[in-house]
Amino acid sequence: MTTATATTPSRPGFKLDSLTQRYLFLILLIVIASVGFGIANENFYSLANIGILLRSIAVPFLLSMGMTFIMLTGGIDLSVGSNVAFSGGVGVVALTATGSAPIGFAAAVAAGMAIGAINGVFIGRLRLSAFMVTLATYALARGMALVIYNADSINVSDAAFLWLGGVSWGNMPVVIPFVALVFVALSVLLYKSTFGRDVYAAGSNINTAFVLGRRPERTLVWVYVLSGALAGLSAIITVGRVSSGQPWAGLYLEFDAITAVILGGTSLFGGRGRLLGTILGVLLYGIIINGLVLTGTNPYLQSLIKGMILLGVVLLDTLVQRRNAQ
Amino acid sequence: MPNFGRLLREKNIIFVTLALCVLFYLISPRFLSLDNMSAISRQIVPIGLIALGQYFVVVSGNIDLSMGMGSVLFAIVLGVFFGLTGGVALGIVAVIVCSLALGFFNGVLVAKLKLPAFIVTLAMLFSAQGLSGLIIPRGQQIFLMGDFFRFIGAGKFMGLYWSFLFLVALFVLAYVVYNHTRWGAYVIAIGNSEENARLAGIDVDRVKIGVFMFSALCSGLAGIVLSSRMGFVQPGLDGNGLLLDGIAAIIIGGTLILGGRGTIGGAFWGLLFIGVINNALNLLNVEDVWHQVFKGAVILAALGANWLLWQSRQVEAH
Amino acid sequence: MTFKRTFASTLALATGLAGGALADEGKLDIVFINDGHVAPYHVAWLSGFEDAIEAYDDAFEDIEITGRWLSAEGSLEKMIQQTEVTINEKPDVMFVNAINVDAFEPLVAKAQEAGITWIAVHSPMESADYSFTLGDVANGTNQGMAMCALSGGEAYKVAVMLGQAGNPSGEARREGIMKGIASCDNVEVVAEQPADWDTVKAQSIAENWMTQYPDLDAISGVTDAYMYPSIAIATNSGKDLEFFGYDGDIPILQQMQDGPVKADILLSGTREGWNFVQMAYRIHKGETPDKVYDFFTPLVMSEENHKLALANGFPEDVQVYYVDQALDVAAKGYLEFGPDSVK
Repeated sequence: MTTATATTPSRPGFKLDSLTQRYLFLILLIVIASVGFGIANENFYSLANIGILLRSIAVPFLLSMGMTFIMLTGGIDLSVGSNVAFSGGVGVVALTATGSAPIGFAAAVAAGMAIGAINGVFIGRLRLSAFMVTLATYALARGMALVIYNADSINVSDAAFLWLGGVSWGNMPVVIPFVALVFVALSVLLYKSTFGRDVYAAGSNINTAFVLGRRPERTLVWVYVLSGALAGLSAIITVGRVSSGQPWAGLYLEFDAITAVILGGTSLFGGRGRLLGTILGVLLYGIIINGLVLTGTNPYLQSLIKGMILLGVVLLDTLVQRRNAQ
Repeated sequence: MPNFGRLLREKNIIFVTLALCVLFYLISPRFLSLDNMSAISRQIVPIGLIALGQYFVVVSGNIDLSMGMGSVLFAIVLGVFFGLTGGVALGIVAVIVCSLALGFFNGVLVAKLKLPAFIVTLAMLFSAQGLSGLIIPRGQQIFLMGDFFRFIGAGKFMGLYWSFLFLVALFVLAYVVYNHTRWGAYVIAIGNSEENARLAGIDVDRVKIGVFMFSALCSGLAGIVLSSRMGFVQPGLDGNGLLLDGIAAIIIGGTLILGGRGTIGGAFWGLLFIGVINNALNLLNVEDVWHQVFKGAVILAALGANWLLWQSRQVEAH
Repeated sequence: MTFKRTFASTLALATGLAGGALADEGKLDIVFINDGHVAPYHVAWLSGFEDAIEAYDDAFEDIEITGRWLSAEGSLEKMIQQTEVTINEKPDVMFVNAINVDAFEPLVAKAQEAGITWIAVHSPMESADYSFTLGDVANGTNQGMAMCALSGGEAYKVAVMLGQAGNPSGEARREGIMKGIASCDNVEVVAEQPADWDTVKAQSIAENWMTQYPDLDAISGVTDAYMYPSIAIATNSGKDLEFFGYDGDIPILQQMQDGPVKADILLSGTREGWNFVQMAYRIHKGETPDKVYDFFTPLVMSEENHKLALANGFPEDVQVYYVDQALDVAAKGYLEFGPDSVK
């Protein structure tokens, strides 16, 4: 909390500017990366590859948006990747048992929200460390996924259940408009509702929010439940994409989501950031990963590049901001 | 001897750990055998080194995510130097120099350029992972043979592993530094409020850089211990597992992740707690699919129990 | 600035590595998508593959042979993406070591539509053009039977280190090992634990076993990756244990002549990498290998131990390589699968 006050600039007008600048910078990087990869491999710009790219970032999009809400409150959620496997397992089992896709969908989202609720109650109500609690549920959710699946995959053939993640209109996966819809809905929630203002308030200064009667502890619970629900949706998309339920789905996705949100300029200490930045962060990250696959880059070099880009973006951003402040 | 008040503050996790030990003993009497205790004492050394380095970073209000992959990278630095020259001393010197350099780099970025530690060290995590594969030809494994590695990996003194004694000595040293030196007080002060620390005339940047150099040095030591016990190094070692276990140990031990509060004794008990759980998973022959459920549930239960025990005092404090 | 430099190096690398896009007579482009790249077996495998690509390209003037490998680093999502991207690149042959075969069924059809030959690695797929399999159950059985034959007929306690929960290769190897051990009644399995293919986990497990079972006689594993830390711990603590490995990693084979390792299965990553390229080349030349191609994986023992085993009733029809021969073919993949083997 003390660090938060130390690093967040105080004037509201300045806040907006620095974020806009960050977004322009991200857009520039996206352009540079796509031009570069386009030169390196002519297939980068093929419609098919753009379809692949978009489809591959649909799930990171959803998870990162949930992560943005959480990081706006100053928290973190390490459990989302495991939660994708767990809620997918519950959804697939419900689908197999009842044969009804809607029940399967509902079960997946509800299961995701349940893990989110555990996180939320421990973090929001008991005021325990978000890092620690979600580290525990990270193991717990993965473990329960393994138990549900008995460590083996389950084939899914229900066309309705697979539709969202599996079907494409031409080169356009149907999941993309769906994700756009979720984005719009979440934007309304974050910018136009009391809940959204509570999220920013809880992140800026939880004690002040508490005193002002904004009930930040309740906001925190709901933020984690929201992230869990998005993990449930992601699980449905993942099952559709691979026509099966997979106990090891979602591995390391929490890392990708956190990286993308950070790239998008959301402050780790809460209170500062926007969903647009996260979108740009995911896009940049996705383009880089796609390009590195296309160019067959050595995976060790890929890790190094990932690290350097993360550091480079944040460093440049800070330097630019500091110059402006002077 | 720690004073009574401190013991009281640390005791939640002591209760939880001891309760678990009794429970595991009832399930399998071998759990409390001397042999098994000594196995646990050896297994916790690398996690303990990570936890100790991380402790000061966390108390200062930061976090060092690069410690796990860092220890893998330093293990490989040791292996590469050992492979090239066949000498241990040069390898150890290289590990110490490289780790201090990495820590300095992290520290400068965090302290001077005011970048969030989480991001800087996350970037370092990725970079260390990449470098660990790039500095070793084709990512191949290198064998570490010799008296030194046998001594670190399995040497015993009066029935106790040298590596464990070394860890305990480091914890004692850290205890003294943390509680009885100015530097320790500075770290706590910075974790409580950087502004106030600065106003009080503390050279905040310098202390912060020192904290990161110490954590990186600890991950270097963890790398040496890890590779000595394995007898070989290879870039595929699971550094992130070590990192997460280390962080879990200190937080379960009552260290506030936002900084400014914690006790070395608590961190040590937290370390024992993690060591006991990891050991029990194997010893009790928990069926494989249940491993993660077990670990997650036990940590959550411990957090909950800790909270229940804390709650009364917290209410009093308000 | 950091970014620019990295980017420039990526570009340089990219231009170097981007292979030919369209299949034609004079070109053979092979892509190998693996589930990982860090385990010792993977390392040998990928180097063997790279070496073989180069050797074949040099040996056959009329065809330009290119190849590259990708590692999914254990992530299913990443592997799916890599596969989709690769299909779009239209190489001639794809080897895919799927993390889970069910998840890849939809992609096999897509690849075949694009005219790509899909070779499923290790776990066979009905829909794939070919499956490259290891005979894990048979190999495991050989390891188990070797344990029986070398145990000397007295009570013999063994602990078995398994793969990751649900991994088909690991399960099949376990099944085989148990089947082999069941062929005699003096060998008792006192513990089984998964080490998730991870050497650090293997180290802790081996340590626990050695304290938990003071009279343990042997450790068996479904991969040689477990043998490195297990042997180190046993040597360091002065325990006289015997080891039964699986993989044919060269450093482990080297511990077989008068060493603690009694038997191993000669997969050898190097050999497998070379065999991939040989197989792709033969398919390109119009040959049709068996739809389920079984990688030749003999048991490895020292000559003495083999004789001892035979005397104790070890079946004579099980093919055994002696240590020298195994080391030779493992180190030099071209001996069995090089350009000379198809000329």
